[in-house]
Amino acid sequence: MAETGYAKPLPAISSLSQPYWDGLRRHEFSLQRCDQCANVWYPPAPLCPRCWSRKFSWTTLSGRGRINSWVVFHQAYFRGFESELPYNVAEVELDEGPRLLTNLVGIANADIRAGMPVEIVFERATEEITLAKFRPRVT
Amino acid sequence: MPTRELKDQTAIAGVGNSPYGRRMMRSPIDLAAEAIANALDDAGLARDDLDGMAVSFGSPIGADGDSIAPMLGLNLRAFTQTWAHGRFTASCIQWAAMVVNAGLANAVACLASISFSGIKRPKMGGSGDREGAREGGGAHGQDPVFGMTSPGAGAALVARRYFERYGANSRQLAAIPIAFRKHAVMNPIAIMRDPISADDHQKSRFVCEPLHLLDYCLINDGAACVIVTSAERARDLRKPPVYISGMQPLPAGREEFIWAYPGFGVAQQSTFDYDAGLQPVYKMADMTPSDIGALFSYDAFSILPWIALERFGFCKPGEAAAFTQNGRIELGGGLPMNTNGGLLSEGHIMGWNHQVEIVRQLRRECGPRQIKDVATIQWANAYGDSLIYRR
Repeated sequence: MAETGYAKPLPAISSLSQPYWDGLRRHEFSLQRCDQCANVWYPPAPLCPRCWSRKFSWTTLSGRGRINSWVVFHQAYFRGFESELPYNVAEVELDEGPRLLTNLVGIANADIRAGMPVEIVFERATEEITLAKFRPRVT
Repeated sequence: MPTRELKDQTAIAGVGNSPYGRRMMRSPIDLAAEAIANALDDAGLARDDLDGMAVSFGSPIGADGDSIAPMLGLNLRAFTQTWAHGRFTASCIQWAAMVVNAGLANAVACLASISFSGIKRPKMGGSGDREGAREGGGAHGQDPVFGMTSPGAGAALVARRYFERYGANSRQLAAIPIAFRKHAVMNPIAIMRDPISADDHQKSRFVCEPLHLLDYCLINDGAACVIVTSAERARDLRKPPVYISGMQPLPAGREEFIWAYPGFGVAQQSTFDYDAGLQPVYKMADMTPSDIGALFSYDAFSILPWIALERFGFCKPGEAAAFTQNGRIELGGGLPMNTNGGLLSEGHIMGWNHQVEIVRQLRRECGPRQIKDVATIQWANAYGDSLIYRR
C-alpha cells in the first residue's frame, strides 16, 4: 500500500476474495451466489459449500441485516484502534443469510442490541481498500 | 483385519509436569524435558522405552517435537504435531491410543510446553495475529481489519450471544472462575491461589466485553506430559493404569464454531435447538453422562465450560448458567469440574495440566482436593471432542 495515514490492519486478500474487495471499492456489496441452488455464502469459497456447484455469480446484496452478536474491546491490541477504545465489533446476519464481522458506526456502544436492523456504509480505508461497515437502519 | 475395538485397550501409564509459573525464564524445551522425564519416572519407564510423541502446541511459544526429540536424545518411530492452538489435546491422545493399538508404537509421550517468558507484553492477538490474516479468517473469529483479534474475542462473541439468547448474565458466569479458583487454593502447583468473589469478578476490568479479566485464563510458562501405552503394558508398570474408555474426535464444518455447538447461531452456524442426544464418546465407553464422576473441560474463557456442559448433555441449551450455581461444579458438588483450578487458575498448559490432574484424581493422589471415590472422569470441550477415562 503506497498510501500512508491508515494505521489499522488491512485485509489479506486471496484470489478467492479479490472480487469481494474489488466490489467494495466500487461501492458494490457483493458475495457469491450459486447459479444452481441460489445459496449465498461467506467467506468466499472455490465452490458452493452446499451443493458443490462451481457455477456461481458475484451478486450485489441488499446491504441490510441484523445484529446477531457483538463485543466491545477495552484492551488495545492494535495501535490503529487505540484512539477508538472502547470500540465495538459486531456480527451482522445479512438478510441473504451469511454473517460477517464489522464495526457499527453511528451508534453508542451502550445502545447496541441484538436483532437491531442495520445497513451497510462504505468506508474508504486506502486507495485500494474500502470496508463494509454498518449503521442502524430506520425501519 | 485390524481390530476396531478401542475401549479400554490403551491407558495413561504416567504423568509429569514442570513447575507452572510466570516469567520463569526457562526455554520451552527445557520445560518439556522436565515434564517428559517426570512422566517416564511416574510410569517406571526409561528414556529408551519411549518410541512415540504427539505435541499439541509448538513454536514460537511452545516446543516442537522434532526439536525436543534430538535435543533429548530420543529415537521416535512415531511422531506428530498439531498447530499452535489449545484445542488438540484429545486429538493427540486419540492419535497415540490408535497408534499404540495398531502396534505402530509402544509408549507415546503426549504433551505441550509453553513459555511466554521471552515476550515483552505477553498476550494473544494484536500485531502478532497472523492467524487473523489467514484465508477465510481466524479460527476464533478473528478479523483484524475490524480490530477483532485474540481467541478471547471469539469467546466474548459467544458469551454475548448466550446472554441474549438465554437471558443469562455475567454475574452468573462468575460461578466458573470462582469455582476453579476455590480448587486452585487447594492445589500447591497452581499459579493463582487467592480466593475470588463475584464482586471481584464484576469489578475486574473488561478485556473484551462482556468478558472481564477474571473470565480470561492465565498466560504463563510450563509443560505437562502424559504417556500412553497399551492397557496390558500399563498393568505391569509402576502406577495403576488409567484406562482410555471412550473417545470422540474433533469435528469441523460450517455448523461448527470453535467455541459453540451446532445450532448456537454464531459465525456461519444455523440456528436451531441443539439436542445433545447420547454423544459418541458415551457409546464407545458404554456409559451415559450420569456415570461421569467429574468433568474436566478446556476453560481458556469462563463461557467455555457452559458450552461444553450443554454440548455433551449434562444440561440442556441455556441451562448451564443455572446448572453451575450453588457449588454443583465444585469439589463436593454433584459434578466437580477442573479440580486443578483449570486454565483460569492453575495455569494455561493447553489442557495438558487437566490430563495430569485427571490421572492423579483417578489414582486418588490429590490430597485435600481428592474427589471421593471417583472412578470415571471425562474430558469434554466446547469444540466437541472428548475422552472418558476410568481407573
